[in-house]
Amino acid sequence: MARYLHIVAILFFSLSLTAQNKGGLKLHFVHPTGDGKMLQLDSGFVFNQKDSMVIHSLRYYISDIKLFQNNLEVYSENGYHLIDLSDASSLNIALELIKGIQFDEISFNLGIDSATNTAGALGGALDPSKGMYWSWQSGYINLKLEGKCNVCPQFGHQFQYHLGGYLYPNLAIQNIRLKVNRKLGSELNIAFDLEQWLLQLPFSVQQHIMSPSKNAVQISNAAAKAFKVWDANKN
Amino acid sequence: MGRQQKLSFAMLFCILISVLAFIKTDEFTVPKNWPAPAYNFKNNPLNAAGIALGRQLFYDPLLSKDNSISCASCHLQYTAFTHVDHALSHGINDSIGTRNAPALMNLAWQSHFMWDGAINHLDVQALAPISHPSEMGETLNNVLEKLRTKQKYRTLFFKAYHDSSITGEQTLKAISQFMLTLVSANAKYDSVQRQQSHFTAQEKRGYQLFKTFCNTCHTEPIFSTYEFANIGLPVSKTLNDSGRLRITQKANDAFKFKIPSLRNVEFSYPYMHDGRFKKLSDVLNHYTTGVQHTETLAPQLEKPIILSSNEKVDLIAFLMTLTDKHYLFNPQFGYPK
Ligand code: HEC
Ligand code: HEC
Repeated sequence: MARYLHIVAILFFSLSLTAQNKGGLKLHFVHPTGDGKMLQLDSGFVFNQKDSMVIHSLRYYISDIKLFQNNLEVYSENGYHLIDLSDASSLNIALELIKGIQFDEISFNLGIDSATNTAGALGGALDPSKGMYWSWQSGYINLKLEGKCNVCPQFGHQFQYHLGGYLYPNLAIQNIRLKVNRKLGSELNIAFDLEQWLLQLPFSVQQHIMSPSKNAVQISNAAAKAFKVWDANKN
Repeated sequence: MGRQQKLSFAMLFCILISVLAFIKTDEFTVPKNWPAPAYNFKNNPLNAAGIALGRQLFYDPLLSKDNSISCASCHLQYTAFTHVDHALSHGINDSIGTRNAPALMNLAWQSHFMWDGAINHLDVQALAPISHPSEMGETLNNVLEKLRTKQKYRTLFFKAYHDSSITGEQTLKAISQFMLTLVSANAKYDSVQRQQSHFTAQEKRGYQLFKTFCNTCHTEPIFSTYEFANIGLPVSKTLNDSGRLRITQKANDAFKFKIPSLRNVEFSYPYMHDGRFKKLSDVLNHYTTGVQHTETLAPQLEKPIILSSNEKVDLIAFLMTLTDKHYLFNPQFGYPK
């Protein structure tokens, strides 16, 4: 009997938690392509000053979001979020914080950790029907970019980069930690700077990456470096 | 005890009962003296409705693009769920060519699937054939759309999950539920272990030979460690299948394949990852005279295994005692009525 009493206790505890004062923080992801423009799927833009580019699909996982103040963790969430440029609502992640909490750094993962990669069929954002799971070799695709670029030689100038891999040495998950210099507000914009990242992609030499590899890790690393806190007024 | 207290105790009791009903996994029994399963049943507790749903899905060609192929097309019960008489079932992945469908049994004890271990969990196994162009050529998302249009499935999903939204997770876990019930632990060998019958003199000699030469890899009682080993098969030039190396990209995994269980081996021919051998005697001839010495060869096979022709016959007689008729002909595993 005693065993079940603690279930009841947990229930009460979580009820009392929700009664506490909550503040919210909305993370909003933006995807600048240069010249103050934001990515529009399926519509062309110029990149690298001269090349034409169309992106049909950009999707990636953000997980394990944490906030720090003076290097001390003040908040963590163990959720998995699929950012999908074809679904505007997915660009926002709402965090429930205790009111008045201060933080000066945010950290999150780009991709899915190894343990989750070996946990079988999962639901929600992790459901394999989301198209972010490899079929013939188990594992999540952390980041998917598909489109066309005039420098791609083959297959109607198409490219497909499916980046993932949860086994060493081809471990593709990236941790991103950013300084946040802000007065307390309820929204934080985070940019995945495509103008910067696209320059690192091997469009003319390798148009398809569809499995874990050294290159996939390298490109994932370059993607992580392209994440920054975004000040809509300044940038 | 006040009336209200009684009432709240009664309510608590009801909650407890329903919680218990939910976590019971009576549907799965670990055979006596077997190791603990690798599958985590807590995340997918077996129940009759889930198993029934999984069985329907396993036998339903709706899972393929043109509604022509089901899992059972390649995994037939009477041949221990392998592909009869097809050395090479259509391969799972273009880049690795073609492979022989392994027998499906005792999957709860495995943590890697496929000959090279490309699949890391039973739940996600079904994704490979569903989405492979030369197999079922379908996407999981489309399969879900098709399932949602069928009243039969909306009912079956509701029975299993109290929810008829039909998600990928639910579908995959149901297929796992059915596959987890495919336990083979009732061969003559098992009844001898339970002291309910006896080996013949020949089987006994075969058993001794088995323990000497084979048991380190095909380890009792499951008849596999499910590790990966290179047994020195000559590498086929056309398939050039490097096995486990493709997954781990470690040089010392070259030409290693998952050790298959030898239960029901009488029926799971043709043998090996590429189905190169038709008969058990071919397999034994490989172990005695065919082993190629390469860098990753299993240490157990460095020294030649020497078996006289009589000993080979004895060893095969023992392997026949691993045939489990209860499993091969269990009506609960067959085409759902
Ligand atoms: C066209 C034939 C074909 C179809 C259809 C097929 N399989 Fe397979 N199956 C195979 C082959 C071939 C392998 C081995 C592939 C390898 O090792 O690379 C395999 C391997 C497996 C394994 C791994 C067994 C082990 O011991 O590692 C499981 C489990 C499995 N299949 C279940 C299924 C399920 C469930 C379905 C239906 C959703 C299905 N199969 C449909 C041919 C098929
Ligand atoms: C070093 C570990 C090891 C030892 C020792 C070993 N085997 Fe194997 N056995 C394997 C592996 C690995 C395979 C699969 C190889 C492949 O397909 O490339 C296999 C395959 C087989 C198969 C084919 C099964 C199937 O379903 O395709 C049979 C039969 C077999 N072994 C019997 C034996 C016998 C009998 C002995 C003892 C004489 C023995 N093995 C010793 C590792 C071993």
